[in-house]
Amino acid sequence: MPSSLPKATILLQAAVKYLEEELMPTLTGYHRFKTRVTANVLNTVRRELELRGAHAAAEHQRLVALLGHDGEVEELSRELARKIRAGSIPLDAPKLREHIRQSLADALAINNPKWLDR
Amino acid sequence: MNKGDFADRLHAAVARHVGAPGTLHDLQQLTGGANRTTWSFDADIGSERHRLILQLAAAAPEDVPAPLAGISPHPTAEEGAHLMMAAVRNGVPAPRIRAILETSDGLGPGYITDRVDGETLAPKILREPAFAPARAKMTRQAGEILAKIHSIPLAEVPFLKGQSAAEMIEAQRKVVDFYGLNLPAIEWGLRWASDNLPKNARYTVVHGDFRIGNMIVGENDGIRLVLDWEIGQAGDPMQDLGWLCVKTWRFGGKLPVGGFGRREELFEAYERASGFTVNPADVRFWEAFGSVKWAAGCLRLGTRGIEEMGVERCAIGRRIEEPLWDFFELLEGRD
Repeated sequence: MPSSLPKATILLQAAVKYLEEELMPTLTGYHRFKTRVTANVLNTVRRELELRGAHAAAEHQRLVALLGHDGEVEELSRELARKIRAGSIPLDAPKLREHIRQSLADALAINNPKWLDR
Repeated sequence: MNKGDFADRLHAAVARHVGAPGTLHDLQQLTGGANRTTWSFDADIGSERHRLILQLAAAAPEDVPAPLAGISPHPTAEEGAHLMMAAVRNGVPAPRIRAILETSDGLGPGYITDRVDGETLAPKILREPAFAPARAKMTRQAGEILAKIHSIPLAEVPFLKGQSAAEMIEAQRKVVDFYGLNLPAIEWGLRWASDNLPKNARYTVVHGDFRIGNMIVGENDGIRLVLDWEIGQAGDPMQDLGWLCVKTWRFGGKLPVGGFGRREELFEAYERASGFTVNPADVRFWEAFGSVKWAAGCLRLGTRGIEEMGVERCAIGRRIEEPLWDFFELLEGRD
């Protein structure tokens, strides 16, 4: 149960609806553009709230399989980043590229879902 | 400085450097970026009215955080002007410099150029039917212009800083570390670049940011002017060809060269104009590494966003995965 309602994602949806449906049609030029970008940013935050949990759980599983030990997801990801830079894990290590592609796809699903449809 | 003082100083500078009486008309600010501001104006010189542009460097282009200073080989405003003059001498359609400002002008570092009409916006150039004749010419023009840029004798621009691919890769790692980003994807891309450095690269003048957005295009005549010389440098000329093909700079256009052309046509035009053979694998390296480099650029621009340009700059930070995704697509032959 959330501690209070409506959920944060619903608040963001309401804010975006106002910006896009009521405010933007009254604007031109600079402020129309800025409002468009602001609505996009709020949508990104909403998608992050909706998707981050599931993404992090899946990322954690992939990282444990890749590195062979458990840990916090941020810690594991930092370890992987360092190993790639140091060359101590080969670029063609099994499952490495799949992991990176999946992580990028997940992040794009939050930051710009359209990028995947091109 | 209020607008009246500014106009008075500009009037005096025009009269002094370009010609008397220098009376100003239609002074308007076109862009105000973090690194520079651009003004458009007309001025009476003798009995003629001249159409001019004023470029002012920001008071402190050193807004770059200290650990990153010197990573990007920015020429000063004065050096940039001298680079454009060398470009014009060598047949490149670069802005014609009319004056380089001096300290006593009281306007800060900058220069005055001729003003050229035309379009810079990608959606218009790439999608409007009126620009179809331009699109049909631009690939060949890009190849020929790049060949000319790369033939500017380095001795004419001795102030340009050189940067090898390996040094650029190291610079991106510094950016990543400075912002504390732990992103396996960007590390993979940088490691791939280190492992795949082009061999036997030539060493020439490089524009560094040759793409739509940085060129003025006419509907029927195509590329009229190449702008934005402020990261001009010396290095492997193939990076300019690769950068033009980076997917980000296709602005949604379907074709690989800048969204408007085919690679084969670009290479052919470049080879014919330069006399040098293009190795497509080298261009592909720079295209792939260009995407990784732009990912680091998103990080840098986005993280400085709140102070600099607000919400749209911040939003650039969240675009970091786009070029990295494109990088892997390119490596897997989907480009």
